[in-house]
Amino acid sequence: MQTEADYYALFEAYQRGELAAGARASLETRLSTEPRLQQLYTEYQELMGTLAAYGERRRTRRTIAGLHEAMLAAEAAPAAEASSPLTHSVNPILRISRTERVLREFWSGHRATVGVAASVAVLAVFSTLLGMEAYRTAHAPQNGVRELRREVAQIVRSQKALIRKVNTQVLGTTEAVAPVRDSKYSGTGFALTADGYLVTSAHVIKGADSLLVESRDHRRYRAERVYADTKHDLAILRIKDPSFKPFAKLPYTFKAGQADLGERVYTLGYPREDVVYGEGALSARSGYDGDTAFYQVSIPLNPGNSGGPLLDGQGNLIGVVSSRQDDVLGAAFAAKSSFLVRLVDSLKNKQAAQPYHLPRTNQLAGTGRSQQVKRLQDFVFVVKVYE
Amino acid sequence: MNMDSTTALAADAQLIKAIHGGDERALSQLYRLHWPMVSHFVLQNSGSEDDARDVYQEGVMVFYEKVREGSLELSCQIKTYLYAVCRRLWLKRLTTKSRLHGVRLLDEEEYGPYLNTGAEDDVQEAEERDRRFATMSEALTHLGEPCRSLLEGFYLLDKSMLELTAEHGYTNADTAKTQKYKCLTRLKKLFFASYKEA
Repeated sequence: MQTEADYYALFEAYQRGELAAGARASLETRLSTEPRLQQLYTEYQELMGTLAAYGERRRTRRTIAGLHEAMLAAEAAPAAEASSPLTHSVNPILRISRTERVLREFWSGHRATVGVAASVAVLAVFSTLLGMEAYRTAHAPQNGVRELRREVAQIVRSQKALIRKVNTQVLGTTEAVAPVRDSKYSGTGFALTADGYLVTSAHVIKGADSLLVESRDHRRYRAERVYADTKHDLAILRIKDPSFKPFAKLPYTFKAGQADLGERVYTLGYPREDVVYGEGALSARSGYDGDTAFYQVSIPLNPGNSGGPLLDGQGNLIGVVSSRQDDVLGAAFAAKSSFLVRLVDSLKNKQAAQPYHLPRTNQLAGTGRSQQVKRLQDFVFVVKVYE
Repeated sequence: MNMDSTTALAADAQLIKAIHGGDERALSQLYRLHWPMVSHFVLQNSGSEDDARDVYQEGVMVFYEKVREGSLELSCQIKTYLYAVCRRLWLKRLTTKSRLHGVRLLDEEEYGPYLNTGAEDDVQEAEERDRRFATMSEALTHLGEPCRSLLEGFYLLDKSMLELTAEHGYTNADTAKTQKYKCLTRLKKLFFASYKEA
């Protein structure tokens, strides 16, 4: 009985053609008749084939690895093969340290991602910074104090204008419609002299293109800026409309001195379309942050009140409403009338041509509050600011 | 373009013929010619220089073995074929390496219609062969000494029986031969056992 190893020897001899003719013929017959032997032979063939191919593969792998080495060597010394058309690229990675190589690989693999990430980061940082800065400048009250000029609600206005327009068209009225242009801001102003000088707050007319003042009976007059003192938040306007009829006499006087603490004071203003009365007491003789140019008053004031007159019980004008403190309850500020009087005096010296006739007699003293207000409201105006 | 591709195809045919004939210089030329393309491709797709080398050598191997067998059916330029093969190989590595399933490759338009080059089938075939070789290599390792070096020496390194007899200290060539056949049967058992079960 032959072992498997013996058969292998036989097969190998057979494949190499080393068998004698007789032995070969007998093996071939046995292969075709004995299935067991046949299977053995098939397995042998497969094994040897694989072994041979495996050897071939190992050789090939070594050859190709050799090719790579040769190529790298050729590239490392390009001068040696400069004439060869095959040295396509000179690879600089070959001459650099390992760390740098790793870094370079990382960079070449991820540079798109890195770039995108970096630009997103930069964008985010800058937009946040700029956005916050813009937000702060837009919303933060200056010095914690809010100036009380009113931003006119555009929508309400334009709606009204539209209704008016429709009415005129539908009803066919030929009545001339005043050119409807909406003011950007509004504040309050009051008469300084009988002949058309007005006082308001400097911040109300800040950035003004043109100014319009409207009296209680809805007459509108063009006005021009005469002088603005931003430090004391005071401004003087003059009505330049020819249709303006000078007042007979102003009922109040301007107090040149200081008013007393605890004095009952009141104001009239236009925080909305109608004139609004507000009263309180003079609660401090200095304004925000100890500013002695202002009084602190405990009158509830709203945007639009700026520039309104502040009067005491006797009908003396003691201040001009300016601002309120946002973080303190009931603290509003009004510029002192003494500064207004001083300002008028200094202007008198400069502009002798147009004299200021400040009222001298007080017609309000001794009358009741409602009587005072009734007299006063004709001299209080809406100041509309166009930009 | 047409002229270009015709001349390129002619050059390719020449190269294939030379490689089929066992011309190592032709293979070397081919190897150098397409290396930049593949290395660029792999580096572009989050691979390293070493990855590029491995993939390229694998790819060239597939090509080379097909050429040597004479079973290569090339319907495009060698460049395109190699690109397709290496692309396929790298894609496979990437998918096994990363748990990320939808791996997307950045392709160079230049190497054009890399699909339908037959590369897919060839790669598959090569994989099957790789598996067989891996099994063989494993079987050889398991065989242990002196069988392994005996068989490797005779069948893979083409050493003569006499050399091996001397090397392993057998008394004569016949003893060595008998030993070799015994080893061979053992190898067979190991090989088929693990190859069939896999």
